[in-house]
Amino acid sequence: MLLAEVEYVRPKTVDEAIGLLSAHDGARALAGGQTLVNVMKARAASPDVLVDLQDIEELRGVRDLGNGSVEIGAMTTCAQLIGDEAAGARSILGEVASKIADVQVRNRGTIGGNVCSNDPTNHLPPLLVALDASFTIAASGGERTVPAHEFFLGVYLTAAGPGELLTRITIPPGGQDGFTAVTIGRDGSAIVTAAASLNGGARIAIGCVDAVPVRARQMEERIGSDYSDANVRAAAEGLGATLDPPSDVHAAADYRRQLAEVLAARAVVAARERR
Amino acid sequence: MTETATHPIVVTPGETKVGFVGTSVPRKEDKRLVQGEGVFFDDVKRHGMGYVHFVRSPYAHAKILSIDVSKALELGGVYGTLTGEEVAILTDPFFELSVKPGADIKDYALAVRRVRHVGEPVAAVVASSRELARDAAELVEVEYEPLPVLTTGEQSLGSDVILHEDAGSNVVWQGVFDWGDYEGAVAEADHVVRIERLHFDRFSSTPLECAGVLVEYNRGTGQWTMYGNHQMPGIGAIWMAPALRTGVDKLRFVSQDIGGAFGNKICLHPQYVACCLLARKLNRPVQWTEWRTDQHTANAHGNERTFLDIEVPVKADGTLLGLSVRAIDDCGAYPRYEPLGCIIWAQVTPGCYRWRNIRVDFTQVCTNKSPVSPNRGYSRMQHLWLTERVVDLVAHELELDPVEVRKRNYVRAEEMPYETPNGCVYDSGDYARALDIALELIGYDDLDAKRVDAESRRKLLGFGIGSTLDSGTNNFGQSTLLNPELQFSGNNEVATVKLDIFGEIVVTLGTVPQGQGHETTAAQVVADILNVTPEDVTVRPGHDTYWNSNAGFSGTYASQFAVTGLGAVKGAADKLAYEIKRVAAGVFGVTPDDIELAEGQARLKANAEAAIPFMGIGAIVNANNAVLPEDVRDVTLNCRYVYVPPFQLPDKERKFGNLTLTYASQVHVCLLEIDPETGVYEIVDYAAVDDCGTRIHPQIVDGQVHGATAQALGAATHEIFAYDEEGNLLTPNFYDYHVPHALDMPPLKTGYLESASPFTPLGAKGMGEGGGAGIHAVCAALQDALASHGKPTVWRSCNPYHQVWEYLREPKRLVEVKAQ
Amino acid sequence: MDPVTSGRITVTVNGEEIEYDVDARRLLVHFLRDDLDLTGTHVGCDTGNCGACTVIYNGVLAKSCMLLAIQADGASIETVEGLSSDGELTKLQHAFSDHHALQCGYCTPGMLMSATALLRDNSAPTEEQIRKAIQGNICRCTGYVNIVEAIKAAAK
Repeated sequence: MLLAEVEYVRPKTVDEAIGLLSAHDGARALAGGQTLVNVMKARAASPDVLVDLQDIEELRGVRDLGNGSVEIGAMTTCAQLIGDEAAGARSILGEVASKIADVQVRNRGTIGGNVCSNDPTNHLPPLLVALDASFTIAASGGERTVPAHEFFLGVYLTAAGPGELLTRITIPPGGQDGFTAVTIGRDGSAIVTAAASLNGGARIAIGCVDAVPVRARQMEERIGSDYSDANVRAAAEGLGATLDPPSDVHAAADYRRQLAEVLAARAVVAARERR
Repeated sequence: MTETATHPIVVTPGETKVGFVGTSVPRKEDKRLVQGEGVFFDDVKRHGMGYVHFVRSPYAHAKILSIDVSKALELGGVYGTLTGEEVAILTDPFFELSVKPGADIKDYALAVRRVRHVGEPVAAVVASSRELARDAAELVEVEYEPLPVLTTGEQSLGSDVILHEDAGSNVVWQGVFDWGDYEGAVAEADHVVRIERLHFDRFSSTPLECAGVLVEYNRGTGQWTMYGNHQMPGIGAIWMAPALRTGVDKLRFVSQDIGGAFGNKICLHPQYVACCLLARKLNRPVQWTEWRTDQHTANAHGNERTFLDIEVPVKADGTLLGLSVRAIDDCGAYPRYEPLGCIIWAQVTPGCYRWRNIRVDFTQVCTNKSPVSPNRGYSRMQHLWLTERVVDLVAHELELDPVEVRKRNYVRAEEMPYETPNGCVYDSGDYARALDIALELIGYDDLDAKRVDAESRRKLLGFGIGSTLDSGTNNFGQSTLLNPELQFSGNNEVATVKLDIFGEIVVTLGTVPQGQGHETTAAQVVADILNVTPEDVTVRPGHDTYWNSNAGFSGTYASQFAVTGLGAVKGAADKLAYEIKRVAAGVFGVTPDDIELAEGQARLKANAEAAIPFMGIGAIVNANNAVLPEDVRDVTLNCRYVYVPPFQLPDKERKFGNLTLTYASQVHVCLLEIDPETGVYEIVDYAAVDDCGTRIHPQIVDGQVHGATAQALGAATHEIFAYDEEGNLLTPNFYDYHVPHALDMPPLKTGYLESASPFTPLGAKGMGEGGGAGIHAVCAALQDALASHGKPTVWRSCNPYHQVWEYLREPKRLVEVKAQ
Repeated sequence: MDPVTSGRITVTVNGEEIEYDVDARRLLVHFLRDDLDLTGTHVGCDTGNCGACTVIYNGVLAKSCMLLAIQADGASIETVEGLSSDGELTKLQHAFSDHHALQCGYCTPGMLMSATALLRDNSAPTEEQIRKAIQGNICRCTGYVNIVEAIKAAAK
């Protein structure tokens, strides 16, 4: 509950933030703090410097890019994703955001914080993999954009390295999206999640079965463009065997394999049914 | 969706209510609490106080080779430290309740030379801020030598690894209970149903406020004041005073508001003693605030119990003749309140049923896990779960209707008061009627249609019953069945009611309220006796042992306030009423019988104009007593009453006798639907019918029913303190230990019966614990739902989704029926 | 711009502007409870789950155990102590008492803040909306039954 000593700074711009993040070893960006502050309370991580991003307006908000793509500032909160008109263009975003934790956490927790912490039980990483999102990372040398499958590297580990800052996430055009999860109770931590997006073919990502979201590529291939219940279910068979999920108090590996198959199929069906 | 419908049904209306008892008057506690003006222990601050942080063991079992606090002491803002070595010199071990081998266990405020569970305090640091205290605690260097770890009761029983070398055994207590004629029951039976194993999992009620205390030491008088949330100070002092080598009266326990306790705040004496030593050593007030992770890891778990080799002789029609079982109770690293749990269950030996021949071989052992502590439904809940699983499995195995089997075997209303095979007396109740009400509430007649509907949605519907008892008001004499040397028996509680100089009526309780509405219900009782309104009655919030309105068993536990607490309030108010009448009679020159109390006055029955307001009575006695006739000068208007329930010592040889005074009953029914592909299930309908005798404040009773139901449903579905093989707790926080959230709660329908207790002052029964009916009902509903999937035995009390999926994947049957 | 281990913050708490020196590591909840003596805001866990520390922060609901006091520089905070004015309870506070929506009262301040925020946004919430609004507030006493009833009643 009690944090170790830490230094704090509150820049106004992305450039200032990057300057601070690169100038101090052990500096961490503080977005909504809904994961990081908890980790610090447990003293499981003790950054030397917290670079609070709350004043950086350019990191906030959702933009409809007009071509069907949606661009989301890293400091956009989950609550904003739920209510935002531009985000509404991709309705799965608000729908999944509304399943994250609770009102208080959604009010402060940000999309950038959610993906950068990349806790395997987080909802957004598998969703963004399925949506084929791309991640723009700013560094002192300029900006670069990486696809979702290159962004997530491990638990609390992403392509946004030391001295760098995730600034925005871009979702390409689409709309046939689905998301399913088994959680502890109605709204507890996720045990397994599955996200699917049908965009000239299925993209399916499974959460909680590895340190990073796992693409169900074989299942995607088997589905092809036949999204019928029977074909989707048949395609999901054997998915579990391709996974190497962790065993913990909430699920043995075999149970996660089973859930992955069931949820992946249901996510595809949900995507098919979305209007 | 969870639309809540509450349809209370009055089946047996009590007598016509006159007065405030029986009505839901506004709660006195609420105004301060809804404004954030309650005073919980962590709200109390003192000048110059220090904050305590415990250094805790990362190992489940290890020798402590060395502790070095020097780096911690060098840190600015650190006031001092305490280690186990100091504790071993400054205190004596806490007394143990058990006979040998448990009697020889040495338990101190901090670990001495060995740690026995993860999170066990090994040292304490005090600093000027919370954060600094933690910083310093991290600088304390402890060298450990890990030892082999025991994490299950069965493991402990068969192991050469011994947790407490002084005791020489992992067994705390062992005994056989044998009532009736079990062999005769087997001979008479058509079948014997054998169940290999049932397991009641660890969980706890996890009160939202964790434990803690602020301790001040008075150097001049050698007296400690503890502003904390200990819920049973009488017992706390009995543990602490000898350990601290001081008198019980040197220990002053104070609490105002407590953020829930549920039994989990009974065993706080180790941490309290550590804080007392620190306050004395450092000569400054110190405050310890337990954090959630500490609470889960190292404070108070409910008892975990494994039932083996269960045998149930039955007739072909489902009539239960007997029960034989071997129980292994895992009490964690230190027994503390144990082995009382080894006997407390016997209050409800036959559950709700007419079993006459029961044999229980009971063993309690230590393991390298958190110590247990009483937890809502303490020890009876585990046993009631066993009886309810057994009855349910018998019905399923013999392909009999679970409703009919229960009704055939329930103790009947006309048999009340009913003496159980071990001499307990069920005071009143009508379990079959309660079941009927519950069935009606969930539309049981349409069960087949509901099943078909669920199947059409690819769901498995399950229907389950949980019948249970909430026994209240302990006879502490039951402790002598464990240890004949113990000098405990009966029970007591105190209340004081006074009339002050300006006519204020002030009640002082001995209990330690934690949300049960004691201020309100005490005011109702007093108002009815003095013929005033509850608003006219001030009830001091909380507890202070220096109010001298408490006795050895004072506290709030064991579902007893409505009996002991209010019994004492009634006694004290009756005394005060009589004193008021005597004063008035003295003034008017009549007898007390000629006086009545009405409208805040003592007046002549014959002439209402001849009246003295209570203010006048208060003034005469307190400030103007020279006008009083000689024969009423003994009046103090400050009336203390000790309520003592009518108990005798039980028979130690036969382990026979009345172990508790009242038996509230609950019958719950549950409808749930399982998704067979995932094991995920949802409770789709639920009814709870409660019978706690006379309902003093119906709204408060309903609130207790709701809360006990929620806790039971949590325990049935997700709440489990699970450990890995190294003895690490896997659910140390509310992420992994998922308690019900608002969205988790199913629609809850409630009904009630009122079977007044013939044994209590107000006809009321204690009812705060609930007996875990929700756990029984969910297990039974899962059993029913899985009947079409290979009839696996629902053998655990906590069945999260993955467990249900295990049942589906590999339907393990642990039951067999042997024809005789 | 240099990082600091402590700093002076200006916050508005229940309408009153306060300046205070805080360590960077001080949690907002401890600032409220220990520094400002606003002890109505409670701590029930150490992982941000229980919601006992819920406050309204710049107009929206937040858990004060997952915010640093130093972050609150310039912020406006409402706590349970600010709900009633001149000792006059709000309709919601009355409803909590009338419906027996509290037992021990420990979760109550956070629960009231969540319900207050809900009713500001939605004067006629459905039961599902009420339950979602308090899903981040754990109560161990009531099973939420009467809390939901109280919020329904206050909305009327």
